[in-house]
Amino acid sequence: MNKLFPTQEIGSLAKPPWRVKAYRGEPLTQEEIAEAVEWGRRLGIENTEDLVKILTKHEKTPEDRKAILEWAALYAIRFFETAGLDIIFDGEQWRSEMYEHVIRNVEGFKFLGYVKSFDYRYFNKAACVNKPKYVKPFYVDEFVFARKNTEKVVKVPFTGPYTLVDWTFNEYYEREAASQTRDFKQRKASARREFLFDLVKEVVRPEIAKLIEAGAKWIQIDEPAATTNPSDEEMRLFVEAFNETVKGFNCTFSLHNCYSNYRVLAKYACQLRNCNQLALEFANRDNLQTGIGEIRVGYRELRIFEEHGYRGNYGLGVIDVHTDFVEPPELVRDRILHAAKIVGDPDRIFVSTDCGLRTRKWNVSFEKLKNMVLGAELARKALG
Amino acid sequence: MHTSLKTAKLVAEMIGCFVTGILPRPKELIEATRVYERNRINQKALEEAFLEGTKKVIEAQTKAKLSYITDGMLKWQDLLRPFTKNLEGLRVGALARWFNNNTFYRRPLVFGALRRTRSIVAETTYIGLLPKNLPWKAIMPAPYTFARLSENKFYKNERELMFAYAEIIREEIENLAEVGFKYVQLSDPALVYTPFKENVPKDTLSDIKESLKIAFKNVKLRTCLQTFFGDFSKILPEALDFPVSDLGIDLYETNLEELKEYSFDNKGVALGVVDARSSLLENERELLNVSKSLIEAIYPSKIGDVFICPNCDLEFLPWERAEQKLRVIERVVEILRSEEASS
Repeated sequence: MNKLFPTQEIGSLAKPPWRVKAYRGEPLTQEEIAEAVEWGRRLGIENTEDLVKILTKHEKTPEDRKAILEWAALYAIRFFETAGLDIIFDGEQWRSEMYEHVIRNVEGFKFLGYVKSFDYRYFNKAACVNKPKYVKPFYVDEFVFARKNTEKVVKVPFTGPYTLVDWTFNEYYEREAASQTRDFKQRKASARREFLFDLVKEVVRPEIAKLIEAGAKWIQIDEPAATTNPSDEEMRLFVEAFNETVKGFNCTFSLHNCYSNYRVLAKYACQLRNCNQLALEFANRDNLQTGIGEIRVGYRELRIFEEHGYRGNYGLGVIDVHTDFVEPPELVRDRILHAAKIVGDPDRIFVSTDCGLRTRKWNVSFEKLKNMVLGAELARKALG
Repeated sequence: MHTSLKTAKLVAEMIGCFVTGILPRPKELIEATRVYERNRINQKALEEAFLEGTKKVIEAQTKAKLSYITDGMLKWQDLLRPFTKNLEGLRVGALARWFNNNTFYRRPLVFGALRRTRSIVAETTYIGLLPKNLPWKAIMPAPYTFARLSENKFYKNERELMFAYAEIIREEIENLAEVGFKYVQLSDPALVYTPFKENVPKDTLSDIKESLKIAFKNVKLRTCLQTFFGDFSKILPEALDFPVSDLGIDLYETNLEELKEYSFDNKGVALGVVDARSSLLENERELLNVSKSLIEAIYPSKIGDVFICPNCDLEFLPWERAEQKLRVIERVVEILRSEEASS
């Protein structure tokens, strides 16, 4: 991009109650409808009375439900535009969740039920019970809609194959591998590998091809599980899967990884081919005072990527997505300038949130993003 | 197997089974915890759901004819939490990844001298629901794993923290023996989880042995050090010298050929033959063969006690699948016993 310190979001934005409840066919309260109208006004969205008509309908048709997704996506697009971001998407308003959305749209999987993530939080975990089969596009419609509705650069978040495999039970391939090796450990490892590369070939690459065909220019591969297994074998497997995923496509690719082990990731970052940007989280580890240098404790690990020879761009997390604290523009500025100094080349810094904003309320997210944009502007000015 | 050294009946009696960690919450209980989080039910209703869930997982264990019964530990938010929450000198810290799983625990933050002011495991366990006619098993984090996973801001080093925690464990075990437990397992995944291939240094292994001596001092219960998520063969032969009755091994992470090189002589083993991190139901015949070949190899002259068990906490699975895996264990033990009896 021509502009120094372009601003971007990572992917998800909270789904407003009107999107969630109306899509499920549940009745909305007056306040929830009023919220839709009010945000429509703030974001300069026209004809919101059409949205209200759908929201207040007792029985919703499949077309109504589709329209609700489109309205929600349009709101999210305008939300990011109004906040002033340079690179945007639709806040993943079409997706139920990053994992379920893909798995439900691919054949060969069966959801087994909820397993504990931590405390009273769970996730619905699927098992691969047959060879994965691509049956229909699962990101293309939302991309086409977003592309049509903005002039901004569009970046499509795409749940990565390594994460999909790591979060899924591997029944099909473990059963297949049982006849090949008696050693349990080797069997699981080879079954995992088979599963991963089949998924890349049968599902992930066909979807990427369709996205590119539909006009996608930038795809962000989301791999939160990248360092879950930090052993050398597993990290090499992750890198190989990424490289195989993006191989030969004429498109910009980036990688997002968060709440992870960056000491491990840094060692392998150089081996990622065709990876234009690493979008990483730092703000949540940092303190809240302004300043550059030692004070920026959250950004220590950025140096490790540099030491390992990574020379691509960074999506630099300057906004913590897990607190309601609204980072002042000066703090954002200093985080950017500090990182630019470490990296040595300000052109390599894209200003970003740590992760998707889906856990924050819209008013908090909006203030955070606005300040992120202002902070980037201050940083540009500081560099003259 | 060298059955000639033992009567067949004795061998059959030496084969037991149990679970080795936290069980999954049944569906209804998961739902209750979720609505509780959204303030839609109160503490009392949540407690009732825990009671019902606990009854269910205890019943499944008795049905599967496990040799020792746990209450399923459904209340345990993570293996360390009852201690993190209830010991003096500790605070509940930030979320951290639970080894190489898509599961998280809260780090114990050690800010003062560890002190036990109440019966932690006994108070967290639904003792009243445990069957009176069967022996009970309790599970706790081992000193080494506890120290490794803590953020130590008080003790001089990890070793001192490990010893301090071992004292707490000893007090806990005394208390558990008093209330009627017959078996205590210390879970020690950190001992074998070495993703960077760095083996636990020999002098650390000797410190670990010391910490176990402290924890099990004057203990009359049967004891086990259960390892998982890593290769048990890496801590051999030192582990054979640990002061425990049984050694627990994750067969899905351990180099079995390496394991077979050692003689377990005076130790029992808990063979983690059922994979709690895979939803695929195991082939019983295969598990049987693997177990038999291991037993034969590690007990060349005198057979020890053998427990058939999951490789780690079954909570990685949805409850229905965990229950099915309990039945796999039941059948493997049944066949193993009957084959030994008739051999």
